[in-house]
Amino acid sequence: MAETRYLIIGGGVAGTTAADTIRKQDATGAITIVSDEPYRFYSRIMISKLHYFLGKVPADQIWLKKEEWYRDNRVNLIAGRTAAKLDTAAKTVILDDGTMLGYDKLLLAIGIRARRWTVPGSDKQGIHYVRTLDDFKGITADVKTARQAVVIGGGAIGFEVCELFQASGLDTTLVIREPHYWDPVLDAGSGQMIEKALEKAGVKIVRGKYVTEAYGGERVEGVILESGEKLPCQIVSVGIGGVCPLDFAKAAGLATNRGLVANEYLETSAPDIWAAGDCAEYQDLIFGERTQFGSWSNAQSQGRTVGANMSGRHEPYRLVTFYAVSGLGLSIAFIGSVAPPGAGRDVVPRGSPEANSYARLLLKDNRIVGATLMNRTADIGPISKLIEKQTDVAGRYSELADTNFDLKSLLS
Amino acid sequence: MAARKIAKVEVKRDLCIGASPCVIAAPGAMELDADNKAVYKLKDGQRLSGPVERALLEDPTVDDDTLLTAAQSCPVKAIYLYDEEGKQIFPE
Repeated sequence: MAETRYLIIGGGVAGTTAADTIRKQDATGAITIVSDEPYRFYSRIMISKLHYFLGKVPADQIWLKKEEWYRDNRVNLIAGRTAAKLDTAAKTVILDDGTMLGYDKLLLAIGIRARRWTVPGSDKQGIHYVRTLDDFKGITADVKTARQAVVIGGGAIGFEVCELFQASGLDTTLVIREPHYWDPVLDAGSGQMIEKALEKAGVKIVRGKYVTEAYGGERVEGVILESGEKLPCQIVSVGIGGVCPLDFAKAAGLATNRGLVANEYLETSAPDIWAAGDCAEYQDLIFGERTQFGSWSNAQSQGRTVGANMSGRHEPYRLVTFYAVSGLGLSIAFIGSVAPPGAGRDVVPRGSPEANSYARLLLKDNRIVGATLMNRTADIGPISKLIEKQTDVAGRYSELADTNFDLKSLLS
Repeated sequence: MAARKIAKVEVKRDLCIGASPCVIAAPGAMELDADNKAVYKLKDGQRLSGPVERALLEDPTVDDDTLLTAAQSCPVKAIYLYDEEGKQIFPE
């Protein structure tokens, strides 16, 4: 059995950043990263970005660490293998090829996987997810011969892929089961801003309908809506959310919910096991509640905290979460807790969809806890700080709503 | 850390996607502007993507390691760092 002081399951941004951080604090302890993808660390963000997709930047730009980095930093990368079994008492992980690895400290940075589409025919060739470098390779190959595309799901991936397909000259139809884009995280006004941008770019939108089947031979030739209507297409992109692959951790007895449950130090329920990145459902110190938030900057920052903590420090993780996507003349940003407003939450609009510049400030107990912003980038900084400082804004709602009011003045 | 000192910094605006890890890594030196692009904060109050002289940065306590970490944190490699001879330090 191979022994390693630090074992990291997951070779993405959280796992690799953790390894980087550990090596800066511990020059000699053996580090092993196990990745279920057959590649070293790459930019998962870049695979759905227009510049990269259209080949306007060199293909090699996707690699965020050189092979030499692993050698120079004595990070042993086991790529293309999955962790199959965890024994928390013996402190061992068994990989899918039977390799057993012993650890002192274990990080689970296992990310999320694209939620599988399960309608009849959903396994046909030409149907793609947008999560991995292999997904990207598959899409770029199929885009060359496709004329018509169907995009399923109204989220960040759907928005980006619609732009990629349109830019590639495909006749593109988006199908969302919700009444408007990104419902219920966005309200109808914000969602319709996205829909307008998509339609202006030439994307056709089918709202409030399910796809019941993908038809064709080995390759997809179209999809069928619940109304029976057929949409012929040679490529389908599916972006219907993500799920954490938790079976491995559950079987070992770790506390799980939607993600791996962790405290503010990113420690899981088992000794010497940490969680970081998209999979971590951690105790958020700002809101005093458990949070799971999938974004590059969140995963990277957690990788730093967890790497420091695994190599001897004891620092809580604290960050106002942030996610942004832009394209087709729209900049969309989410800050903090953007769960749909419910009991005890107020929503203050700032700007308007008609002005093509529209934010929604989400408040609880007179404090801003989150915001969704459409073309209001300049508000990102001040709103993040207002969330972080938990500034009391009682009696200030009309000012918050006034786009001429400088939010920064609330910070002093 | 590279032995060469950073003399000039730049955010390639056409590549920047506003994901903001650079701002988290180097909050004293960088922020997002109204177009959701990363900019450097300069002494004279200007906010520029650059290229700008490192000596013009607003906060003199931001060290080379921090500027490099910010550049390395970018998921689309939009941040470029140059030495005193104008040679590119990062991306390597």
